[in-house]
Amino acid sequence: MINFSETTGLALTALKANKVRSFLTMLGIVIGVSSVILLLAIGSGLKNYITQQLADLGSDTIFVMPGNINIGEGGGGGTPGAGVSLPKFTENHLTKIRTKVKSIKYIMPYIESNANLSYKSKAYITQLSGVGPEYPQARNQAVSRGSFFTNSQVNSSKRVVVLGIDVVEELFEDQDPIGKKITISDQRYTVIGVLEEKGGFGGVSYDNLAYAPWTTVLDQNEMDNIQSFWIVAGSAGEVNQTKEEVEAVLLEDLDEEDFSLLDTKSLLDTISSILSVLTAALGGIAAISLLVGGIGIMNIMLVSVTERTREIGLRKAVGATPQEILLQFLTEAVVFSVCGGLIGIGLGIGGALIINRFIQTTVTLWSVALSFGVSSLVGIIFGVAPAAKASRLDPIRALRYE
Amino acid sequence: MSLLKLVGVSKIYQLDGVSVKAVEKASLEIKKGEFVAIMGPSGSGKSTLMHLAGCLDTPSSGKVYLKGKNISNLNEAELARIRNKEIGFVFQSFNLIPRIKAIDNVSLPLIYAGVNYENRIKRAIRALEKVGLKERIQHLPNQLSGGEQQRVAIARALINHPEIIFADEPTGNLDTKSGDQVMKILKDLNQKGHTIILVTHEQEIADFAQRTIKIRDGKIE
Ligand SMILES: Nc1ncnc2c1ncn2[C@@H]1O[C@H](COP(=O)(O)OP(=O)(O)OP(=O)(O)O)[C@@H](O)[C@H]1O
Ligand SMILES: [Mg+2]
Repeated sequence: MINFSETTGLALTALKANKVRSFLTMLGIVIGVSSVILLLAIGSGLKNYITQQLADLGSDTIFVMPGNINIGEGGGGGTPGAGVSLPKFTENHLTKIRTKVKSIKYIMPYIESNANLSYKSKAYITQLSGVGPEYPQARNQAVSRGSFFTNSQVNSSKRVVVLGIDVVEELFEDQDPIGKKITISDQRYTVIGVLEEKGGFGGVSYDNLAYAPWTTVLDQNEMDNIQSFWIVAGSAGEVNQTKEEVEAVLLEDLDEEDFSLLDTKSLLDTISSILSVLTAALGGIAAISLLVGGIGIMNIMLVSVTERTREIGLRKAVGATPQEILLQFLTEAVVFSVCGGLIGIGLGIGGALIINRFIQTTVTLWSVALSFGVSSLVGIIFGVAPAAKASRLDPIRALRYE
Repeated sequence: MSLLKLVGVSKIYQLDGVSVKAVEKASLEIKKGEFVAIMGPSGSGKSTLMHLAGCLDTPSSGKVYLKGKNISNLNEAELARIRNKEIGFVFQSFNLIPRIKAIDNVSLPLIYAGVNYENRIKRAIRALEKVGLKERIQHLPNQLSGGEQQRVAIARALINHPEIIFADEPTGNLDTKSGDQVMKILKDLNQKGHTIILVTHEQEIADFAQRTIKIRDGKIE
């Protein structure tokens, strides 16, 4: 009986005899495997990125957002954005929550606005966030130079600003920014602090933002209501209780549709499950090309069996059993799919590394194993029919075949 | 004991309801070391008879004994094993695999005999030497003349030391000179002890044999 390495050798010789055709035959599998790996890498990368972002906030953080956002409830998808309405939160709510909900560690309004920062001839467009003095603790980002603003500065809507490190570098280069006056959308602000470097993931950075007292930001943008609250619960275990209490307080003045409470953990769960479904769907679509690749292999193997009818007859005449012929052609099909799979893995990982420069990608071992396994399986499944056809050929007819 | 024995062997093909009796109730006996020619006009059933005797085909009825063993009811895999060990074939149209070298064509039967690579190469070189093609080992079939190709085929037929070599019109596609060369080699092999069964319709070729079996319309005369 002919052994495995002999069969593989025979298969490789046959594939080498027709290089261009062999390459084209593999192409379907190559594209299939590389796109499965690539898409799953992008999916996992995205998931890791978002997980890191949210984990960075800590699992005890709660956001109070305007409108009815049912994301995270019941773990289902929901329709974020569909129920967003104008914010109805006031300073009154802040005081109420602060006094009534005892399990809260920090609560501060969080207001986002776009701002044009300039110092002398330099200008920088970024996001100006209106926050409270608790921000460095709540966000876990310390002040590296100067200081953060105080409660009294918030209460008197002082025009003071704390900058991220990137903003400082852009506007002041090597100068000390503390005490300098910068212009933010036509108003003069005093720089009182610089935040430590926090870094960021995949192009999103925390170091290019600017922070001012939320009261000041409301004034500057002529807003009446607070956009959202940033709450840190006493501990992760208290998140649900805190949420309930905050909700109860807000319901005294507002309707259920007016606000939503989001906590990082349920956000994380929801986003993870959405991304998992999305990734699986994309991977599944890519896997269809594996199927197409398999059909391509089957097609070429059938052609090859017909072309080599006389060879098959001759091999049988000199002593090949039907089983050995079957094995030989099956091996050829598997070699096609395995070679294609290996090239596809190379291309997929290479592509993921290139894309990683722009967005985070994570090549997972299981995606490599899965796509390689499936491609090999495809070779076996689609190789069986041509190989069986070859093994059944009558040697006499095959030898007479023109 | 006879090496090969056919007893009342028939082969009937069914074609669209019409049955073609390619070989009808043929009986013959061949002893070890014989050189036998099977002669007859075209379509008389020579090749069919050879395929039946050479374990390439199974009879519709009758029995074939090789070395005293009835092989008429064996399955395909068992017949393949016997062909590999006991029988060598030389065909009119050479039947070399075009994309592999002379040496690899010659060593082909040894792959299925489970011989390892080094021994295959050694034995293939020796077989090619025997047919005078030592210098053509690395040539592809299309780089060889017809006569040389047929000699490669003979080397392939004898590489696994078979009891019997069947040659179906081995000179049919060759000019007189290369045909003579091929016949000399076959005769030589016979003198060294191989049993040779030669199919032909040419008297001059049949003259190389010690004995001639005549066949007409599927029947041995
Ligand atoms: N597969 C087949 N199906 C139907 N009829 C067949 C088949 N093979 C051979 N025959 C018929 O059997 C008869 C004998 O054929 P065979 O090939 O044995 O003749 P032959 O003596 O070798 O002829 P040639 O000298 O031309 O090679 C012919 O009439 C042929 O048509
Ligand atoms: Mg014939």
